[in-house]
Amino acid sequence: MDDSMKRETRPPRHSAGRERPVKDPGKILSYFASEIPVLTVVTITGIIYNVGMIAGPYFEGQLAQCLYDISRGRAVWQDMLHLTLLYVAVIFVVQLMRAVKRFGVRRFANNVSRKMRRILYNSLVHASQKELEEEGLGSLLTKAIPDVDTCVEGMRKFTTEIFDTGVVMAAYAVMLIRYDWRLALLGCLFTPLAYLAADRMKTRVTAASAAYKKSSAALNGQTIDRIGNAVTYRIFGREADRDRAYEAGLSDYEKKSARANLYEGAMAPLYDAIAMIGTVLILYFGARNVLGTGWTAWDIAAFTTFLSCFTKLAVKASHAAKLFNAVQKASVSWKRIQPLMRQPVEDPAPVPVAPELGAEIAFRDVSAGYGDSPLLQHITFSAAPGQIIGITGKVASGKSLLGKILIGEVPYRGSITINGQELRNLSADARRGRIAYMGHEPELLSASFADNIRLGEAIDAGRCLKLTALDKDLADLQKTADDPIGAGGTALSGGQQSRVALARTLAHARPVLVLDDPFAAVDRATETQILEGIRREFSGCTILLFSHRLYHFPEFDRVLYLHDGTSTFLTHSEMLAAEPGYRELFAGQQKGVDYDAQK
Amino acid sequence: MRRNKTASTQPRAVSHLLAGCVRPVIRHNLWLTAGMAAAIAASTALSVLPPLILEQIVNRLTGSRSVSLALALGYFGAIVLSDVCESLQNASITIFGQKLTHGIRSVLCAKLDRLPADYFITHESGLTASVFTNDGDAIDVLYSDGIVSLVADCFRLIAVIAVVFTRSKGLALLLAAAAPLLFLFTRRCQKRMNRAQLDNRRAIARVSNHVPETLRCIRMIHVFGAERYMEDTYDGTIQDSYRAVNRTNIIDSIYSPVILLTQAAVIAVMMIFAARGGASAAFFGVSVGSAVAMIAYVNNIFTPLGNIGMEITNIQAAAAAITHIEEFLAEPEMDPVPSAEMHPGAGASDSGAPGTDSDTEIALDRVTFGYSAARPVLKDLSFTVHRGENVTLAGRTGAGKSTIFRLLTGLYAPQEGTIRIGGKDPRAVQPGERRALYGCVEQQFAPVAGTVRDQITLFDPSFSEAQVQEALRLTGLSGTVRSLPQGLDTPMASCAFSMGQLQLLSIARAVVSDPKILLLDEITANLDSSTEARVIEALRASARGRTVLSISHRLSSAIGDTKIIEITPISA
Repeated sequence: MDDSMKRETRPPRHSAGRERPVKDPGKILSYFASEIPVLTVVTITGIIYNVGMIAGPYFEGQLAQCLYDISRGRAVWQDMLHLTLLYVAVIFVVQLMRAVKRFGVRRFANNVSRKMRRILYNSLVHASQKELEEEGLGSLLTKAIPDVDTCVEGMRKFTTEIFDTGVVMAAYAVMLIRYDWRLALLGCLFTPLAYLAADRMKTRVTAASAAYKKSSAALNGQTIDRIGNAVTYRIFGREADRDRAYEAGLSDYEKKSARANLYEGAMAPLYDAIAMIGTVLILYFGARNVLGTGWTAWDIAAFTTFLSCFTKLAVKASHAAKLFNAVQKASVSWKRIQPLMRQPVEDPAPVPVAPELGAEIAFRDVSAGYGDSPLLQHITFSAAPGQIIGITGKVASGKSLLGKILIGEVPYRGSITINGQELRNLSADARRGRIAYMGHEPELLSASFADNIRLGEAIDAGRCLKLTALDKDLADLQKTADDPIGAGGTALSGGQQSRVALARTLAHARPVLVLDDPFAAVDRATETQILEGIRREFSGCTILLFSHRLYHFPEFDRVLYLHDGTSTFLTHSEMLAAEPGYRELFAGQQKGVDYDAQK
Repeated sequence: MRRNKTASTQPRAVSHLLAGCVRPVIRHNLWLTAGMAAAIAASTALSVLPPLILEQIVNRLTGSRSVSLALALGYFGAIVLSDVCESLQNASITIFGQKLTHGIRSVLCAKLDRLPADYFITHESGLTASVFTNDGDAIDVLYSDGIVSLVADCFRLIAVIAVVFTRSKGLALLLAAAAPLLFLFTRRCQKRMNRAQLDNRRAIARVSNHVPETLRCIRMIHVFGAERYMEDTYDGTIQDSYRAVNRTNIIDSIYSPVILLTQAAVIAVMMIFAARGGASAAFFGVSVGSAVAMIAYVNNIFTPLGNIGMEITNIQAAAAAITHIEEFLAEPEMDPVPSAEMHPGAGASDSGAPGTDSDTEIALDRVTFGYSAARPVLKDLSFTVHRGENVTLAGRTGAGKSTIFRLLTGLYAPQEGTIRIGGKDPRAVQPGERRALYGCVEQQFAPVAGTVRDQITLFDPSFSEAQVQEALRLTGLSGTVRSLPQGLDTPMASCAFSMGQLQLLSIARAVVSDPKILLLDEITANLDSSTEARVIEALRASARGRTVLSISHRLSSAIGDTKIIEITPISA
């Protein structure tokens, strides 16, 4: 029941819908395969368009010829009318095909980009803490996202150029050979030169553009450093020195960027010029053809069509290198992202257990730690529904570790049971259904207050805001729950951030509430108010409250004191008597002056 | 005409910036500027040449005369020359644009030194940085791909129509009529395109932002099973981007076919009139050779037309950048330090030594200060710290304790009263003298972009290896730094220092210059107690023989012997 209701509140997955799945996300061909309908349209229109490209030069030649014939009295102006009408009609069809093809190719790229991003994000969001931090998956994935763009851009160019370079060059070549094969071969002799020249320059072009990117990144870093640390540099009297360093960075950037731009922009016309060497031969020998002294008998139409076709072929050929560059760039990017492309994980909706029921939680001789040596050993305690257990200890006594065991982030030895079920045997979903956790870091999203608390579920955010006394803060800030909290919550004070995190945990309350230091940056009066609210509203829950502030520990059912790698579990007053370390902590709290705590 | 409109929205800004920044660049690069003008003129002139030669060739053929090799070579030569000139034009425009942005960024950087500290405290540094980076780049685009290219393309357009006019008045008129229509169509497409691209950039920014945010919040996502919610949010932004890209795709697919179809139609009309004979033939009067040349021209005329549209967009986009840069340059600057303050007494300040009459190191005399004059933070505050003393300013957050440090380091000037540090007005302490006089440990360590050594020296090469090592020893960091892969020369970005270690680095930065005074701002506020003990131990070691002034909102026995001055908020 509960479950089905939840499903309704979620927006349907992948609202674009009707997306064809990718069979094997680790193979680039599967992305082409998943877009077969679009690619079919692209193929048909692409072939028609590119073969049709020769219509332009052909008709232009015919037009000139017709004009010549009219001037010789061999044709009348109506012939020209028919010819031009045909010309415009053919061009219309060809260009229509072109429009469809262009749109198709872009649509294809757009679809693939969306699929790749979704797959990458899916593996990011499902990666474990260990994969993300220790194996560096997090930074890998962050770097992979821009690679998607490069890769898809390469796929798009490849698809485009198969037709716009491959098919069209073939069509032009066939046309040229039909008019005069000897002249065609002769003219095309020089075309590869342009390609070779471009290819020879390629290493330098790449080196220049790499140097430019590096210098640009360095300058950006320098700019941010110079401005972000302006006050520090001023206090230490280092401004003039930093300005000189910045000036050096600017000069380097100017040089590198001019160089890279020159290679990219200024060289292209020169390649065109090389590719055009063949025109000399075509003009000379083509003219002989027209005059009847050459290899083939030509009319004016053949002459102009041949020249025009050749010019277009030459320009295409000198740009053909672009195709290879794009494919090469794409394959480099693909190699980087390929290992990250996993079969997407589908998440079942969690099945929560009603928090009011509470749960018996019991630790029996638990030990755990990072790596081989356990930080905690022989931890034994239990808590019943409705109880609050205060957990404390000196810094690095393992408080946070204990919490991380409960969310499955750290493995343990011994036994932890929740209502008799062993924690490690529970699935992640079952565990989430039983334990709600609030960690050290607030981990807020750049969304609204309400969305941060609801996380997409149908929850009354207002109640949780009130419980954590955030309603007053919102009123002071003149904001509502639907206003954004600002980038990652950084606009809020530390105390406000941790209270939003607490509100989020309370909104997703489960039978066991694990609260790791919820009041670290909250003033004492607010702390008392919030704690009272939690005890009232979640009276059935089992609450484990980690804190280094012990004001409220005397009121708790039991205290778990962590020390010397193990723990003692007693009531507050028993603990005071039994553990000198705890006594010291508690006394230390009273002593000393905290100016901020005074009201 | 469009350009005027752009200019008129920012007349002052444009004129100011252009005058201020272009003139020196032109003056220093006279040859480059002249070369650029020459290259533009030459490439314009040469671009109309090849079709004219082709016309000669075809006319010879229709007259059954042979085509000499020289004429064929001439045709090719014209193409090569025009390409070379285009290359030169591109090159000179690029270099000029780069010199210009360099110049502008230098001016911006110089402005940083003149801004009051208040600017940096109240402005987000990322936004200021984007004036340097993004807006700086936009200025490059404004010149390279905007104004200069616009001029070049206009010339090209005019040249083609002029040549066409000499051959066929009819076609020239036809082109002159079609050009504005196509230009309007181009502008319309480009405007829609830009809007869609802007939407896409916004969506992409959210998409990119979502990934680091996910990493930052990954534990929360796993704990609450929010994977699906996060994926749905991500999908939503991707979908926005998808739709925006699709909009650009539609325009992109339609634009070029429409242009090419129009070209065909213009050619068709010309040919029909030329073929009809009679009066229309006289008006369109083309020979077969001219017809071939004209077809070539018609095919070329639409390239500059499309470019011009793009260039206008670039110029418009740069208007915002100009405004940002102007606003930044117009920020109020620091008040100059009165010259009387610069040289107090008679040469007593040579070495920053306090006056001979006392051993007072720091003195505030009836100081009143507020960030805005209406709301003072400090009122009538007086206290003195003598040489070698250890003094703590205690009070609750917001009482103005850190403000006192900002006054002592000369970042702000008091509205009333006088401040002396080492016998001088803080603002009169020359940058070069500061580190010898005082070292300041900020509340939060600000890592600079560089190596671990740079964190300590702040890029000052005058500190010897021994001095740096001594600072490390005092702060107990020697072992930590030794264990780094490249020791002191390890890039900071690749070091995983703990909060406590960063705070220790901050102290090393302050003491490396062996300053007379140490200023400590809540340096243990963010530390747990064991780390705090380590930091305080390091301070003890480094404070020996120095005057120490600390700020704290929390006193504990760990601080040691200190004289306490309570700072109470004046509103209370």
